[in-house]
Amino acid sequence: MMFLVGWQKATAQEHEQRSGISDSWLIMQAVPSISWTSFPAQTHFAFEWEATPVLYSWGMTKLDPPLHFFFVTQPERFAGSVEFNISTQLYTSQIETSYWGFSGQLLAHLPLVEHGEYLGLNFGVARYNIAGATSNYIVGGFSTLFGFLHYNIKFSPVNKIWMHSIEFRFF
Amino acid sequence: MNVKNHLLRFILFSFIILYCSLIIVGCSSFFTRFIAKSFEDLPSSPDTVASKITHPIFQNVGLSVLWVGHATCLIQIGDKIFLTDPIFTETAGMISKRRIEPGILPSSIDKLDYILISHIHFDHLSYGSLSMLPKSAVMLMPAGTAEYLPEFGFSDYREMNPWTTFEADGVRITAVPVKHFNGRYGFDGAWLNHNTFTGYVVEYKDKTVFFAGDTGYDPEKFKEIGRRIAIDVALIPIAPIEPHDFMKRVHADPKEALQIFDDVQAKIMIPIHHRTFVQGLDSSLTTAQNQLKQLVTKRHLDARVLIFNVGEQRILAP
Repeated sequence: MMFLVGWQKATAQEHEQRSGISDSWLIMQAVPSISWTSFPAQTHFAFEWEATPVLYSWGMTKLDPPLHFFFVTQPERFAGSVEFNISTQLYTSQIETSYWGFSGQLLAHLPLVEHGEYLGLNFGVARYNIAGATSNYIVGGFSTLFGFLHYNIKFSPVNKIWMHSIEFRFF
Repeated sequence: MNVKNHLLRFILFSFIILYCSLIIVGCSSFFTRFIAKSFEDLPSSPDTVASKITHPIFQNVGLSVLWVGHATCLIQIGDKIFLTDPIFTETAGMISKRRIEPGILPSSIDKLDYILISHIHFDHLSYGSLSMLPKSAVMLMPAGTAEYLPEFGFSDYREMNPWTTFEADGVRITAVPVKHFNGRYGFDGAWLNHNTFTGYVVEYKDKTVFFAGDTGYDPEKFKEIGRRIAIDVALIPIAPIEPHDFMKRVHADPKEALQIFDDVQAKIMIPIHHRTFVQGLDSSLTTAQNQLKQLVTKRHLDARVLIFNVGEQRILAP
């Protein structure tokens, strides 16, 4: 990860007019997104920290390179992309024996309205670890409000569990 | 275990306090008052533009300008057509509703050579509007904004640094420095490490047009432009004005707009960036225009400062 951060910084220096990982960006990433997730039995409120180790965008012009590591703008994500992201959730109420959840997702984003700024569709797969129990999910949902507001449905084919989540995501 | 749980609860409680504080501060901020003003007296439909021009492109003309509204101007010099900061959509972003129709329909623009984008704010870089335009155009934008630009299928895209020039087929377009602010979504302005806003000077067939985009007043920048290039027509923003202490850093008011006009030493000024959307906390959509009219009359500038109606086109050189 440190290698990738370093590579991103070097790339940003080579193209000084490109934005990249900076102190102010890192500080903003420390501010968690907020989400409500509805499990089969109850709904939990959570703070969530997310990172995008890699994203490939195909909806931008030739001036914007398609591969992005950690630093991603909203158009790069929502105008058409596939990404691998990881996140940590801190739930405000205990689930089993823990407050923590961890997940990794492989998600594709397709723009529906205004190149995804007004409305975008996403789908993919996710692996969640909550209170020590790991499950795989199929994910689908929508994003709106320039990518700030997300609604997702997750389904675990093995456990036959449905999860719904609403997330207000900061970047 | 108890200590761990207490620590977690402390962290959670801290975040809840943080978010509550942000909500309270946010509700009293300029931004929230602006949102409220955007919905004040919201008409069901925007004001109409009577007798819209349906064929705005001339076979050949020295210089013509059509004010489409806001910062959108259709400029024709000779056989070349330029469009500045096109916005034809019903809203800027998803929030600010258009209060008057665009002066022309985008379908009326059947030929387009250049699109000039001054910066990436919603009212200047409108994805929906760009989708409506002929794909033959070359799009120019400030350096560092490609990461905000989806593909629209235009013939070419160029990023411009201040005082760099794009030249093609006798057309010279120079990016010139202006004074504004970064970002598109709010937070992102904090980590953009360079200025993503610009003005442009277009030169073709001995005619020169300065498009200031969206700018505050900066005497050094504008005097420098006036020293370097002889300008015929200057398109200069005059709004929003209020709250003045906040706006003056990034938006010129009518008095400052006239100062810019003096500094760049243009022959003609056309005010832009007013009347079309609710901006800032100005008391009405015509506040800036009315202030400008008073100043123009007082300074006897009526022949040089041309206040267009939305949708009005004038031939400035035959």
